[in-house]
Amino acid sequence: MLSKLRDPSEKTLAVMLLAPAFVLLLAIVVYPIGKLVYNSLFAIDKGGAFLGLQNYVDVWHDPLFWNATQNTLLITLITVPGALLAGLALALLANLPFKRKWPVRLSLLLPWALPLSFAGLIFAWFFHTEYGVVNDVLMRLGLQDEPTSWLLQPRWAFAAICLTIIWKTASFMALILLAGLQMIPRSLYEAAEVDGANLWQQFWQITIPMLMPSIIVALIFRTITALQTFDIPYTMTKGGPGETTETLAMLIHKYTIDYSDMSFGSTLAVFMFVISLVVTGFYLNHIGKNAT
Amino acid sequence: MKKRHILKFTALALAAGLSAGAAWAQQTTLRVFVGPNQRPDLQQKLFQEYNKANPNVKVEIETGGATSELQRQYLSTVLNAKDSAIDLFLIDIVNPAQYASKGWIEPLDKYVGGSAVLRTDYLPVYQQSNVIDGKVVAMPSQGDAMFMYYRKDLLAKYGVAEPKTWDELAAAAKKITSGEGNANLQGLSIQGAPIEGAVCTFLLPYWGQGKQFNDAGGKLTLDKAAAVKGLNAWLSMVDQGVIKKNVAEVKTPDTVNEFKAGQVVFAINWGFAYDRFKDDADSKVKGQVGVMPLPAMTGGKSATCMGGWQWAMNAYSTRKDEAGKLIKFLSSKQASAFVAKEGSILPVFQSVYGDAEVNKVVPWFKDALPVVLAAQSRPMVNDYGQVSDIIRTTTSAILARTKTPEAGVDEIAARVGRLMR
Amino acid sequence: MSMAQQHGLWSSPMLRWVAAGMVVVNGFFPAVWILFTSLKPEVELVQKPITWWPHAPTLDNYVRAFTDQPLLTYLKNSLWVATGATLLSLVVSAFAAYAIARLNLKYRQLILTCIVASSMFPLVTLLVPIFETMRALGWLNTYAALIFPYVVLNMPVCTLVLVSFFQSIPKDLENAAMIDGCTRMGALWRVVVPLSAPGVFTAGILAFVNSWDEFLLALSLNSSPAVRTLPVGIALYQGEFTFPWPIISAALIVSIVPIALLIAAFQERVVGGLTQGGLKG
Repeated sequence: MLSKLRDPSEKTLAVMLLAPAFVLLLAIVVYPIGKLVYNSLFAIDKGGAFLGLQNYVDVWHDPLFWNATQNTLLITLITVPGALLAGLALALLANLPFKRKWPVRLSLLLPWALPLSFAGLIFAWFFHTEYGVVNDVLMRLGLQDEPTSWLLQPRWAFAAICLTIIWKTASFMALILLAGLQMIPRSLYEAAEVDGANLWQQFWQITIPMLMPSIIVALIFRTITALQTFDIPYTMTKGGPGETTETLAMLIHKYTIDYSDMSFGSTLAVFMFVISLVVTGFYLNHIGKNAT
Repeated sequence: MKKRHILKFTALALAAGLSAGAAWAQQTTLRVFVGPNQRPDLQQKLFQEYNKANPNVKVEIETGGATSELQRQYLSTVLNAKDSAIDLFLIDIVNPAQYASKGWIEPLDKYVGGSAVLRTDYLPVYQQSNVIDGKVVAMPSQGDAMFMYYRKDLLAKYGVAEPKTWDELAAAAKKITSGEGNANLQGLSIQGAPIEGAVCTFLLPYWGQGKQFNDAGGKLTLDKAAAVKGLNAWLSMVDQGVIKKNVAEVKTPDTVNEFKAGQVVFAINWGFAYDRFKDDADSKVKGQVGVMPLPAMTGGKSATCMGGWQWAMNAYSTRKDEAGKLIKFLSSKQASAFVAKEGSILPVFQSVYGDAEVNKVVPWFKDALPVVLAAQSRPMVNDYGQVSDIIRTTTSAILARTKTPEAGVDEIAARVGRLMR
Repeated sequence: MSMAQQHGLWSSPMLRWVAAGMVVVNGFFPAVWILFTSLKPEVELVQKPITWWPHAPTLDNYVRAFTDQPLLTYLKNSLWVATGATLLSLVVSAFAAYAIARLNLKYRQLILTCIVASSMFPLVTLLVPIFETMRALGWLNTYAALIFPYVVLNMPVCTLVLVSFFQSIPKDLENAAMIDGCTRMGALWRVVVPLSAPGVFTAGILAFVNSWDEFLLALSLNSSPAVRTLPVGIALYQGEFTFPWPIISAALIVSIVPIALLIAAFQERVVGGLTQGGLKG
């Protein structure tokens, strides 16, 4: 009886279910991506001649491209695990029984509510030499006599940017992980406690494995957005001092909007796509394998 | 008889139809893009006046792009898509060359009478900034330049005359700040953040030595030693405590706010700042603000950066003839005098600076004229976006002391040199 | 009740309060800072040492925020666009996620990768073609111009979240429903979606906040003030040479309040709610 419900209509059902998504994707993303690849192969700003792979060769030889890629990968390496750890901690905390749950949960999600570009501007203000809260607190606590120019020193500027990103995205991670935590049946913990497992063992043997699908989902998107980091460094340092905090997305923005060089900008975007695909490739395989 | 009736009726109908059609066909609506900080309210009044003289032309304003950056973001998308919805835009003085090279703006010669018109009474700098390849691509509307503001009361208190060179200014600043004994009082405030104004920060001491950045053909003619000397002049002022150490964080609003709060002796800023110092409710320096030309480097001459806004025509517009007439009106002397009186906007015509009615409302324009006459245009090249980015990023890095002036200037020479050949 | 009893460590109220305190400060501090700033006059911001609580709190900035620009209109527009985009995103993503999670598709992996891969291109490079498409459809300066692209922007996250939640629901429950006479679609809406409620609300909140905050498309496609959204509007308070933090802060508070309310209302659904220990065995 079940097989009758399954086979004939399954293919049509699949098409029906996927159609809206794919129609939208085609209209809104596939066409622009096609145009983008086209733009990278032709000198669209200067006559339209066929360039072949000239743009790609130019990008490969551009030291600013490598600088931006390096910065982007470093930001990804720092903020993805950072946000995961912070998000996990926040999710676990938000899951605890407090008498009034909403302050903790709201404070979890409030960073998410602040628009990204303004988060960058606000934290740039916090780290300002003269008017920043960070210097104010440090000096009041007696930890420094002179204000530090955080954003004018490459290493500190980089750190400040990573900190802001982690602050902003930890709540995104926490949101996804929290939902996952709620799907773990209580019965598993009860059974484990009966068997004598302590909380550390429960955490590693129940929580983490059961949470793994959510962790993977959270990681995939955190990684993709980390590779596209733009707003926070753009508003905090504009890539400075010099180009020490310039990311790949900022470079693309510069070429596309400031220099109006769509051809080169599109080429950089293709590079970014390839890098994203490679980095998140193995995550996606994992999700596919988990399908029942 | 029937035939005559029909004929008459037809003739009447035809006449009515034709005149209605003609009137309807003549009704044009032009759309104009103006940033919210370029006084769209005043522009609106100008458009109403234009409409009175040309009843068949209606002008609609589209406001957007609060900053040059946001404006560029929006216009870049719209013009890359070859959109014809907007007919005219008010763009920053640095943009015409780049927009023209992309074919986004229409040459205006046939609407305004050729580039010769810019030589009559307009500020001389527009012949550099608005004429690309011999064609006029934008018409001046609002003028602006970088001025040296100073605290009249403090200079008078310490018996200091208006400094004519940077060394004199540094000495004057030190005398005043040590005399006042206020740790929060800055000698000189300049902008060192990687904003467009930082391009001026780079060029001011360079031009002040009488040097040119590029030749008439747009080729780079950078005198590296002079550039280094100019940058070192800023750095030495930081070392002497005249300019604050975190100058690479200072943006235009910071200078304005700090001067308004009475924390600055000398400040370099755009023309709009004068009214802020004079009129803002929370300004602590009302009536104490002086304006003077920028000092020169020793042995050089005073120079300043020209700013302001220009009218350009969308190359994809479908109403070019009407738009052309409107541009001619908007860049006329009457329009300039109007916005000068109503909005304290620096005129683009030399004679308006001395206009009696204008001076009644804005007496300081008389002092502004010599400054504006010495104003120079930033390099008008196709790749200005990139050139500006290189100069401002490097200058900011030098002021943040993460690059030496020598290394920075070498970088500018190499990278900009490749673009400006 | 769930985990706290097992976590002996957390039974110490002191530690829990410290931890809670840290979390609350972390989340609230910038918002509170902005709130304080919105009550200060601009000149107070360059005072040294800096002030925290304003010397003389004023509501002028809120008045200016509403009068300098039609902030209420922007709020309305953002609400319509974000709500529309969220609902549509959930429907489209739920369909796609169900197909991927439950149906025996040959190219399931490829389809999922394609959907996720669409987010791997920076939006700034896709702007011009999207603008051209919207212009061709005559949708510029309408809600539709933003809603449909936002659905596409939200699709990867929503689909993936829903896929992982749908996958964790045992098939037996659906099969039971179908034996009782349900169609597959019925099973989707009556069994799977309710059981993955935390996932659905999570995907919903993510879609909503993403749509609420989006800037680039809103700037380029809906430039007319009548349909302008909040992020673009807030950016317009600044001038070429001015950045009025107090007024902008007031506008930011106005823009955060609906989201905070939304989150406060739905956090029960996301975190506690329907599936508290609901899965037995």
